[in-house]
Amino acid sequence: MASLDRNKWLLLGSSLGVLGLLVTAAVREHVLLEWRQVQAEVRLDGQPVPVHLRQVVNPALGVADRCVSCHVSMAPGEQSATGPAQSAHPNVVHDPGEFGCTACHGGQGRATLAADAHGTVHFWPEPMLPVRSTEAGCGTCHATAGVPRRDVLDQWATTFERLDCRACHRVDGRGGLLRPDGGGLEGPDLSRVGLTGFRADWHEAHLTRAAQETSRPWLQAWRPVPDADRAVVERYLSTRVAMPALVAAKATFLSSGCLGCHKLSGVGGDDGVDLTRAGEKDPGRADFTEVPGERTLDNWFDQHVRTPAAVVVGSQMPALRLTDRDVSDLTLFTLSLRRRDVPGSYLPRDRMRVARFSEREFASDGATLFGAFCTGCHGRDGLGLRAAGVATFPSVANPDFLAAAPDQLVSETIRRGRPGRRMRAWGDGSAGIREQDIPAIVAYLRQLAGTPESVDTKPARWVQGDRTAGAVLYERTCAGCHGPRGEGLDAPALNNPVLLTAATDTFFVDTITRGRRGTGMVAFAESSPTHPTLTPADIESVVTFIRSWGVQP
Amino acid sequence: MNAGHDALRTFRDNLRQVPGRLAATAFRTGAPRTDRSRSTFVFGNVFLHLHSVRTHRWSLRWATTAGLGIATLAAFFITLITGVLLMFYYKPYPEAAYLSMKDIHFVVPTGRFIRNIHRWAANAMVVTVILHMARAFYTAAYRAPREFNWLIGMALLAVTLGLSFTGYLLPWDQLAYWAITIGANIAQSPREVTDALGITETFDPGGLQRLLLLGSDTVGEEALIRFYLLHVMLLPLVAAALMAVHFWRIRKDGGLAKPADVDRRLAPDAGAHPLFTDAPQKTYHLAAIVRGRSPAVGRGPEHTVPSMPHLFYAELAVFMLTVFVCTALAIVSDAPLKEVANPLVPENPAKAPWYFLGLQELVAFSAFMGGIGIPAVVLIGLGLIPFLDREEAGTGEWFGGPGGWPLVRRAAVLGLAAAVGVEAFIIRFGWLREWFPGIPQLVITAVNPGTVLTAIYAAYSLWLVRRFNSTRAGALGLFTCFLGGFLVLTVVGTYFRGPNWHFFWSPADWPVH
Amino acid sequence: MTVSPRPAQSRLDPEAVPRRDVLGLLSLWSMASALLVATLGALRLPRAAVLPSPSKTFRVTIPETLPAGEPFVPPGRSVALFRDGEGIHAISIVCTHLGCIIKATAGGFECPCHGSKFASDGAVTGGPAPAPLPWRQVTVNGNAVIVDEETSVPAGTKVQA
Repeated sequence: MASLDRNKWLLLGSSLGVLGLLVTAAVREHVLLEWRQVQAEVRLDGQPVPVHLRQVVNPALGVADRCVSCHVSMAPGEQSATGPAQSAHPNVVHDPGEFGCTACHGGQGRATLAADAHGTVHFWPEPMLPVRSTEAGCGTCHATAGVPRRDVLDQWATTFERLDCRACHRVDGRGGLLRPDGGGLEGPDLSRVGLTGFRADWHEAHLTRAAQETSRPWLQAWRPVPDADRAVVERYLSTRVAMPALVAAKATFLSSGCLGCHKLSGVGGDDGVDLTRAGEKDPGRADFTEVPGERTLDNWFDQHVRTPAAVVVGSQMPALRLTDRDVSDLTLFTLSLRRRDVPGSYLPRDRMRVARFSEREFASDGATLFGAFCTGCHGRDGLGLRAAGVATFPSVANPDFLAAAPDQLVSETIRRGRPGRRMRAWGDGSAGIREQDIPAIVAYLRQLAGTPESVDTKPARWVQGDRTAGAVLYERTCAGCHGPRGEGLDAPALNNPVLLTAATDTFFVDTITRGRRGTGMVAFAESSPTHPTLTPADIESVVTFIRSWGVQP
Repeated sequence: MNAGHDALRTFRDNLRQVPGRLAATAFRTGAPRTDRSRSTFVFGNVFLHLHSVRTHRWSLRWATTAGLGIATLAAFFITLITGVLLMFYYKPYPEAAYLSMKDIHFVVPTGRFIRNIHRWAANAMVVTVILHMARAFYTAAYRAPREFNWLIGMALLAVTLGLSFTGYLLPWDQLAYWAITIGANIAQSPREVTDALGITETFDPGGLQRLLLLGSDTVGEEALIRFYLLHVMLLPLVAAALMAVHFWRIRKDGGLAKPADVDRRLAPDAGAHPLFTDAPQKTYHLAAIVRGRSPAVGRGPEHTVPSMPHLFYAELAVFMLTVFVCTALAIVSDAPLKEVANPLVPENPAKAPWYFLGLQELVAFSAFMGGIGIPAVVLIGLGLIPFLDREEAGTGEWFGGPGGWPLVRRAAVLGLAAAVGVEAFIIRFGWLREWFPGIPQLVITAVNPGTVLTAIYAAYSLWLVRRFNSTRAGALGLFTCFLGGFLVLTVVGTYFRGPNWHFFWSPADWPVH
Repeated sequence: MTVSPRPAQSRLDPEAVPRRDVLGLLSLWSMASALLVATLGALRLPRAAVLPSPSKTFRVTIPETLPAGEPFVPPGRSVALFRDGEGIHAISIVCTHLGCIIKATAGGFECPCHGSKFASDGAVTGGPAPAPLPWRQVTVNGNAVIVDEETSVPAGTKVQA
């Protein structure tokens, strides 16, 4: 029967087809898989290695990394493997055989195909960190405490170089080389000395040793270190925690005032995005339409830091004037913000100190605090910032301002902010600035400007002027810049309740009288062809008028 | 002594004959070469005895069924076997589920291949079960005495969709999570009506459905374990039981539906031989005591051929063809696995599985009407068809009945055109809420593109009933229209809806978020 | 494949059945072999290629205060570490009888399940255990001790710290 034969042919064809497909699948799985082909070429002591899936499993860290199926030389016991994709892991504290790969490097450890494992596929939110940003991976566990501002760190590093410690010691992969005369590497590697600690009497020990030694390096390279330098060296060494690039990046972050708007682990302002886990941003969900170059997270951060509003439409973040080094540092640091919960046995000491003893992740001197919280808007020199699309940020280190303003005004401004404007009330305790920090910041501002506090013997409110005359004078002289109701146009707002409460009459009178050099505020007591001249009585009338805003509902 | 010797010899002989006797007791009949042995081959086998011993040649024509029922069964078997295999590694707990999927994908031997086959077979089953239903409808195979089997078939359609839907959540990725979130909210859609009536406090069937489905107020570990239970236990059991009834009823209802004049339509077969005398004294198969107009009562089994081998080759061929298609698709295309489910980052657009995207499109007009109202009307309509259409003309023939193929063709054009027209209209001009922002929800629930489309189809169908003076004509028109509407809505939902369910010509135009 | 019906057959004769159905057999055998290959492939699935258990090579710090000859069992591991004047060694504490975790004492080992006894070097001294406890490979790298639970070394191998 024809239909019976037709069905037999169909059965035969389908069965042979299935057979063929099964063979294809078997070949794909047994021959063509990437890791099989890599392992087929790997040699261990000249011998081929057994071809099977390798992995590092660490349940405590949630790691099941099959990376070692291709990178066999990272597998425990097979470090000397050679062949494609094989290289020795640099000697770090963390043994890849115990920690796995993805805990530090990111990527998809469970995957066994290169693209999936490296995480460059669309549906893996955490691609591998590029080699240039490897140290960002340290941020997964480590919160580097006690990093100073960048100029301080640079200064420490210079001192360390000047003292030529690298003649004998290797630090961060530099120095301590073997010399042709047979010397070199006399001292231990200091790259991790911030973690392991060092003897408190190292200087005395060096002295004693130098007295006994007769070899050339001790005679030529070693000199006793002056006390001041010794302190610097010790502080510098405390920052050597085997991640120099990340420490430098954090120093830059702390000098760029990012915390003025962004929160990091509960510290910082609320204007911007919370950065605590910014490094975990999924590049598959980031908007790359305005980002030139590759679709990687570090490129996105790079472009965003340079021109925030171009990358994120409507961003209120000002374009800070940054050097390339600033940009790469900030990018690296942002990438490193991927802090993960780890079990107690893996919690590093620095992070434990931060978590348990509320230790700051940065130094508490005025300079570092100003750098961390204020420079984003007020500039590293404190001279303010004008950027397209955002309101002008005032120059707070202006010598004329600081000469006129008592410390109480400056600290009250920091404490209570400027309601309605971007200057938040830092004294409310929710942003990580503590009460004792405020005087330190004020003192640093004075140091920056070189202006001591002027002594004001008058009471806070002494001016008794004519309000109506003041209104007319204000309208004619001041409203152009400060706005008809003191709401601030080019110049700062004057009707701000905190300003009106905190500022003394002397401050207002002095500022109007002497002006503020470097800004549009001229000295109205001096006669000039370009602006009207105000008599002391006029000035007091204007101040009275300004004061009247404070009492209006 | 001697007797002991004999006993030992017998023991040795018996031992030698174990293989032969084992085969004999397992298979009982010899090679199925005579009609008798072929018959015992069928009814002596627990797996085969659901079949009739002889099969009508009409049923064996490819054009009669296109093998869709067997293909559905084959797809079910494939999902069953691959599903059991996947259960070796799958862990039904959030996060762990996702990681076990990654393991299945990357390190389980043959894991990825088997998961791909499972996924494609599941999709194939949804497709074939829908096509099988269309076949049964268009050949009027639902008519008496097969009304009940038609209802069983509808239940199997629902169970198939349920199986597919519950399997969707198990990978615990973003795709799964948000598709199920959407699905669960469709289940909650009666709230739209109870809210509008203000009785949700006292009577909340939508909330109850959702609670029963999810076991919580969001998709979480409770939902996952419920979906897992439904997917691997309850629904397969129900499906297997219903299938058994479905197949048994095929035989009890006299095999596949055939035209009344089937004997005249079939050319005489040179190879066919009658079994009985021209005047049979009894039915050829006592076990099959069947009511009514069975092909086997009162006459010889003309135009029938032994099921073994004719039917079994056909079934095996369709089975292997299904295996081939699923395997081929599994080799070519990987089942998707997105990022791990994240309740804080919604997918936009969050789309249900493709076979629910037509529903999701309707739900975008009105949650209640799209999710419950219109589907309920369609299901009730489908269930009532065998009881409303008591005609006889055209049974067993494709597009049989008054109107025939020309009617179906015109209905298809109208069904597609009306759906495309309604879609185009609302995409271009919006709907009531855009024109009258203050309009009450009940009005939207009652008058929305979905109900309008349904009304158009219903009106056309009623006109057909009058025009042809036949319920069957109206049913043909209505079924075709709904099939066309389902197709259009599914395609629009799948390819032309983007973030916020806005219309886009292509996913390339989607805004990046 | 079908043979032509024999001539002069009665209507009541049974249907002619081909005795040699090459196409039918071929199709059935190809189906059977396809299903067999599929089954063999599927049977590979339950045999896991990688195990979810932690890596068997691990790093451990032996407490400074550990007395010579006293066992130290790192948490979650099934190996006992000893340190004495000759160096460090590791002995598996999985009973060679039926896999119970045995109790390490200074004088030897004792299995709680069926009463096997082992000497301090792992040799069987009593009970049903069929083999001595294997010694595991220990390597010392700086101040870290690395133990490989999967690699056995001859009994008596001790590593100097």
